[in-house]
Amino acid sequence: MSDESTTGRKSILQLRQLTKSFGNFTAVDRVDLDIAEGEFFTIVGPSGSGKTTLLRMLTGMETPSSGDILLHGERINDLPANRRPTCMVFQSLALFPHRTVGQNIEFPLKIRGVDAASRKKRALQLLEQLRLPETYYSKNVTKCSGGERQRVALARALAYNPEILFFDEPLSAIDYKLRKTLEKELKDIHRETGKTFIYITHSLEEAMVMSDRIGVMRAGHLVQVGTPNEIYTAPRSKFVSEFIGDVNVIAVQTQADGQLHAAEFGTSFVPPRLPNGFTSGHLVVRPEFLRFLDRPDSAINCLEGRLYNEYALGSRIQYQVRVGEHVFIVEKLRQQAFGGQRDDAVLIGWDAKDSILVAE
Amino acid sequence: MPGSSAQRWRHALVVVWTCAIVIFMYLPALCLLLASLTSSRYFIFPITRWGVDWWHKTFDSIEIRQLFETSILIALCVTAVSVVIAFFGALAFARYNWRGRSIYQKIVLLPIFFPQSVLGLALLLWFNALGLELSWRTGVLAHLVWIVPVATLVISIQVYSFDPALEEAAFDLGATRWQVFREVTLPVLFPGIFSGALFSFLLSWGNFPLSLFTTGADNTIPKYLYAKMVAGYTPGVPVLGTVSTFGAALLLLIGYAVILVLRRRHSDAVTEE
Amino acid sequence: MSLRKFAAGPLCALPIGLFLLIGFAAPLLAVIGFSFMPPRTFGLFLNPTLVNYIEIVDSTSYISFLWSLALAAVTVAILAVICYPVAYGMARIFGKWSMLVTLLFTIPLFVSENVRLYGWVLFFIKNGVLLGTLKSVFGIEADSWLFTTGIILWGMVYVYLPFMLFPMTLGVAMVPDQIREAALDLGATRWQVFREVELPLSMPGIMIGFLLSFVLAVGAITEAKVLGGQRVIPIIHDIEIAFTYAQNWPLGAALAVLLMLVVGFLVLLVLRRFDLDAILGRR
Repeated sequence: MSDESTTGRKSILQLRQLTKSFGNFTAVDRVDLDIAEGEFFTIVGPSGSGKTTLLRMLTGMETPSSGDILLHGERINDLPANRRPTCMVFQSLALFPHRTVGQNIEFPLKIRGVDAASRKKRALQLLEQLRLPETYYSKNVTKCSGGERQRVALARALAYNPEILFFDEPLSAIDYKLRKTLEKELKDIHRETGKTFIYITHSLEEAMVMSDRIGVMRAGHLVQVGTPNEIYTAPRSKFVSEFIGDVNVIAVQTQADGQLHAAEFGTSFVPPRLPNGFTSGHLVVRPEFLRFLDRPDSAINCLEGRLYNEYALGSRIQYQVRVGEHVFIVEKLRQQAFGGQRDDAVLIGWDAKDSILVAE
Repeated sequence: MPGSSAQRWRHALVVVWTCAIVIFMYLPALCLLLASLTSSRYFIFPITRWGVDWWHKTFDSIEIRQLFETSILIALCVTAVSVVIAFFGALAFARYNWRGRSIYQKIVLLPIFFPQSVLGLALLLWFNALGLELSWRTGVLAHLVWIVPVATLVISIQVYSFDPALEEAAFDLGATRWQVFREVTLPVLFPGIFSGALFSFLLSWGNFPLSLFTTGADNTIPKYLYAKMVAGYTPGVPVLGTVSTFGAALLLLIGYAVILVLRRRHSDAVTEE
Repeated sequence: MSLRKFAAGPLCALPIGLFLLIGFAAPLLAVIGFSFMPPRTFGLFLNPTLVNYIEIVDSTSYISFLWSLALAAVTVAILAVICYPVAYGMARIFGKWSMLVTLLFTIPLFVSENVRLYGWVLFFIKNGVLLGTLKSVFGIEADSWLFTTGIILWGMVYVYLPFMLFPMTLGVAMVPDQIREAALDLGATRWQVFREVELPLSMPGIMIGFLLSFVLAVGAITEAKVLGGQRVIPIIHDIEIAFTYAQNWPLGAALAVLLMLVVGFLVLLVLRRFDLDAILGRR
């Protein structure tokens, strides 16, 4: 696993060969991971990839089948959720509907027997920190809006003063615009509190915005761990590269002259730096690196296709180009829009350095 | 479910406790069954002379046959009327949003939240005041006062899960109000209606406090058994008691199986598409 | 169409509304009317009087009244303890088996209570299932528990158990899993989760269970007659005597009115507070 970004910082949480099976089904399969103190770590994966099960083991709501969870180097596998210094913000938020905003936030303090005056003081502090008006202290929690409820849930978790905060897709049910605001707010809170955040989502886009590091899960395995930049520019597999969004993927294999043969197009491409021992895999080209060409030799790799459709995506415009049966996606900034018409024959191409080669 | 050992213990305890309570619920039925299988006049346990003589004697009696007829007649009448009233009652309870619905819901519940014996006596008084002669017919009315609200509740639970958009979609596709009702509302709600009918029949079949005061000279099985119990022991009582217990259980199980089949057929049809 | 749609609710409520008016409201009004008639009369339109109520105050009926209330209260308390684990299991643990458990607890509802109570008579009677077994297997001779106050309570707990269990199960099922987990995650112990979260959130169902079993238990009479051998005289017995053997309808009616007042007060108190849609509508 990539350790560059954790060097110099102490690990807070370590997973060793962590596994969870339900009958014959292995939801989480031998996961190894080190999370540094104060890190914002996001686990990304499609539904059913085991990310929620992994999180539930970390919070203590699920017991691992094998492997270890170490907190500050100590094994906490069998420590129940209520005795772990960690706390989770649930997907449903799980706010107590029979309590006011203030009582929700004070809950973990009340449980610990903190006196009423100190509880209230802390609750008001948290309300302020989360940009909620003081009057919300006695507001009915069921009467709050979606964004407000998010903040209350976060305030309640912070009141617990956990060493690690977990998040189980808390923003998934919120509309796009508010989600974008809350993502940034969450990152700010992370900065202000300096706590370790472990976040789960199925949206790599969301993960990119907030995280220091990202772990991508697939079918119970942690397939790649790295900074957002590493995940974006150097995915290790077709799966990871496709997970970010629209990409162009071509199946290729090496040929004698060091070029890559693409059987589908009956042609060959100039590769980026070939990894050692690479024989076959996929060539990945992001849509923004694909260009429309005037002449076949304006780029080192070129294909001829037909412009099929175009989609306006706000500041960018996306084009669908068909080469035989294969669909390519080309993306341009609006100012650099391509002037072609539907069904025009077009040339598309890319430079070798703009492509990524993945083995799987 | 998390599998900590404390939790497993707690779950095991709950399972054991529930089993104990189920046994508690069925112990009397077992005692009745045992008592009915003796050929002696008195019940002495452990039974020394097993036999089914009393079953023969009971079923050969014309009086008993009469009892069955009256009980079933009342239950059938109650079921027919209660399903119709309760179906519409359930639509008003759970389907439509209208002013006064919340009060209406509580009014419908009142007869359920009312001691049945007091209700029986009040109805006795009322029928007398109206000059109605007490018979199985007044018994049907009395049963209905209690059973219609129960059936309304049972059907309402199905109506709650009914998506009103289905009706709107059918309207939108050109169906008339009646077609919508026949093609959409009724079939979708049928399992609930069926449960409502089953409950109506069985509750009427097993009712004692209302029958006691309102059926006059017409005896139902529970009422007859009560008179026999108070008068002194005869093994005919356990026999009839066993019959009415197992009859109810059998009918409920058959009804439940029908609902399962209906649901399965429905989901099969959906998955085939 | 909008007009017809508006009217659909009241229209559907009409049949049941009319029926309950004739079959429920009218008889209760008649009872109230009779309670103000002179003793031992059978007309509803004589000069009203309070004699019946005064007679109750002077008589021993209040003892029956207190017995009925006390027995019902104890029954409810016992049922609450007995039923909670089962309700918890049905709502959270049994999964697909909970359907079967529901069925098992439903069947007894369809057998009249006197028949089921008679089963207990056969169980507890001298030379019955319990004592007969004790004698023949262990050689222990014991006195029968029949005809005691305890056995009346036993019968009441038995008869009204499903009426506590089912609303309670609905209530327990109303607590979302994530809410319980959240409380646990925030450091609450099992007991704190129960007291701070599970209990208050399942309260609507539990209160309805309390109410239903209490109201029905106040009207209990068969338990005392079949199991208790008239050891305790419940209020319903007094009312029944007044209506039948004594032929004193106004006195019986006055007793019934007092009972209805208690029941009605409790029902209004509890039902007013809860949103039935939330309790019944969740699936």
